[in-house]
Amino acid sequence: MSLTSLVPLIGIADVVIGLSLGSRLFLIAVGLSLIFGVLGVLNFAHGGFYMLGAYVTLAVVSNVVDNFWVAAVVGALAVGVVGAAIEFSAIRRLYDRVDSDLDQLIVTFGFVLVIHETVRFVWGSGSYSIDPPDVFNFSVTLGGSTFNAYRLVVIGLAVGVLAALWLFITRTYFGSLVRGTSSDREMAAMLGVDVPRLYTGVFFLGSVLAGLGGALSAPLQSTSPALGDQVIIDAFIVVVIGGLGSMSGAFVGAMLIGMMQSLGPQFISAGSIAIPFLAMVIVLLIRPEGLFGGIGE
Amino acid sequence: MVTEDSDTENKYKRADAAETSSERRAPVGRRRFLQAAGAGTAVALAGCSGGGGDGGPVTLGAAYILSGFASLYGEEAERGIEFAVSEINDNGGIDGRDVEVLVRDTEASGDTAIQQIRSLVQEDNVDGLFGLDSSGVAQAVAPQISQLQMPFMITHAATPFVTSPQGEHEDSVGNEYVFRDSNSLAQDVYGAARTAQELDATEWATIGPDYAFGYETWDYFQAYCDGLGVEAEFTAEQFPALATSDYTPFISSILDADPDAVLTPLWGADLTTFIGQAESAGWFDQIDHTLFSVGMGTDLPSDGSPLPEGEYASTRYDPFVPDTEANNSFREAYYEEYGSLPTYNAEGAYRALHLYKEAIESAGSTEPDALVDEFTGMEHSGPVGEYQFTETNQATVSSIWGTVTYDEEWESNVLDPVNRYEAGPDVLSDALGDSDLPTGI
Repeated sequence: MSLTSLVPLIGIADVVIGLSLGSRLFLIAVGLSLIFGVLGVLNFAHGGFYMLGAYVTLAVVSNVVDNFWVAAVVGALAVGVVGAAIEFSAIRRLYDRVDSDLDQLIVTFGFVLVIHETVRFVWGSGSYSIDPPDVFNFSVTLGGSTFNAYRLVVIGLAVGVLAALWLFITRTYFGSLVRGTSSDREMAAMLGVDVPRLYTGVFFLGSVLAGLGGALSAPLQSTSPALGDQVIIDAFIVVVIGGLGSMSGAFVGAMLIGMMQSLGPQFISAGSIAIPFLAMVIVLLIRPEGLFGGIGE
Repeated sequence: MVTEDSDTENKYKRADAAETSSERRAPVGRRRFLQAAGAGTAVALAGCSGGGGDGGPVTLGAAYILSGFASLYGEEAERGIEFAVSEINDNGGIDGRDVEVLVRDTEASGDTAIQQIRSLVQEDNVDGLFGLDSSGVAQAVAPQISQLQMPFMITHAATPFVTSPQGEHEDSVGNEYVFRDSNSLAQDVYGAARTAQELDATEWATIGPDYAFGYETWDYFQAYCDGLGVEAEFTAEQFPALATSDYTPFISSILDADPDAVLTPLWGADLTTFIGQAESAGWFDQIDHTLFSVGMGTDLPSDGSPLPEGEYASTRYDPFVPDTEANNSFREAYYEEYGSLPTYNAEGAYRALHLYKEAIESAGSTEPDALVDEFTGMEHSGPVGEYQFTETNQATVSSIWGTVTYDEEWESNVLDPVNRYEAGPDVLSDALGDSDLPTGI
């Protein structure tokens, strides 16, 4: 852990890279946060969903249609279907149990292993990568540092997803059902909301977002079975920092962690991976509910 | 559960290789490729012709990385083993007995490797051991070998501390049972410093894996540059974790420091990932020279991102040099069998079997201590050339560095031109100068 230099040289590329890392973290963390906010389920398998999104996208783009965007949509929707099936078949049975938190944790962790081993069985333990879509696969040089233009696309899409989600939750009928159910499930049920179907819908949406995160990240990283395990830890840090259940918290938390991941190596040559953990500890000590703590925002 | 699944996946990953060779194998019926499903990830490669003497087959145990980021190293070693087993058994076996090899997966973990090796010795009663792909694993395994009192021929893992006698340095774990037939990091990085001497580069950086191998490579490189009087400044270093999926922040950090040249000991899928991401970050336009230590071991069997032409790489064995009958016939026969040039991991494993054959036949026994006596100071030659085991049980093989060049004939990257640097005890000791790092030889 020696200091690389006392005055780090931070280029524009480092910032863009940090924001793009933050964007993919946002896509996974916001789904995690949404599911927790509405269903009260802490979904350990969310990292697996992200990984699955990347694998399905890679498989579709190399075997079915040679169009990244189509493949990414297929990947995201496929993960949504898997997520909804898991909620429908397993997690739904746990809501009314007395010790439901612990059971949910064990069941979703079980699905982590199932997804991980299924991916290893189907695609092997090696790693895969693809190029960014041709239109955006060029280098941008700004202020002497270079980055791939596709990173800007990922950042733009993440901002777009944040805006769309916000509109969806605050301005649509379904969004008002989601808000109502998350604040008082029994009252919502009495008023005629089909709570089980709503829960499956929210789980589907959260899973689609994780799958989309994996799909959009596929050109920026190598995809291997270890991917889900790495990213779920970062996503938990994001939601702890941002506040569980908060969308804007997930966005700010994700961008903070992304920047730490990007700039960390500038300050220490090894072990920069620990910086987000330190940030999480500090937030937990000072503001345990997270920077944007609160549900239903 | 984990071991069972990695076995499934090994089958999956080997499907291609098995298909290409099955045509040749089936009608002749001289080779059997057994995969034992039980007992962890045991893979038995057994030859079924030849002598079959009174004592049954000679059984050797091997441990390589067969799953995860460096699985292609284990797969290459298995090819070398399969090739050597059929060659030996087709020519009368070892003292008239067939040889068979049980291959286990270390999963790149020291703990797993120790479990597997103990099981090979205590449950399968193997007559000798070889293998290992990672310095970290070798460092953990070496002290156990001395307890098990069974000879171990390391064929790839490169840390100098396993051939540096215990007590020489605080990390030294060398002992009388551990040998290495391939070159060590100390030998390989000596060649890197000799290469650096010839380059027009003063500011150097490294990006290596966050464990012994990454740090030792950089430590030795700096010590050699100092000892050889290379005018070099060491301006940046990055040590990302093993199996990192996104190297971009680390790449960007090195590019910001803007060194003239970089030495990288990344390997396996990590190296492939790194090259792809470095290319899109403009690395090879900005950095004048990149030196891939032992990069050829990943380059030859890998599908993705090949080493860029014009950069420098090393190997522990070169399929074209030395230009000897032994090397040429090995290369040709191997290429015919597998359709690719032999990697150093295939050659190292191949040679380990021949070393055991020579030791067992010369000792007239498979007693561990008798084999250790035979290996100690043994002179041997194989595709890699002629060499001898030194006092510390390290083979006196050369350090091999060259320029990455695509070869149309072999449809593969090769090192051309290639330099072989003699890297014996005196050479390394002189080059390390005042450093307290051990030569490991």
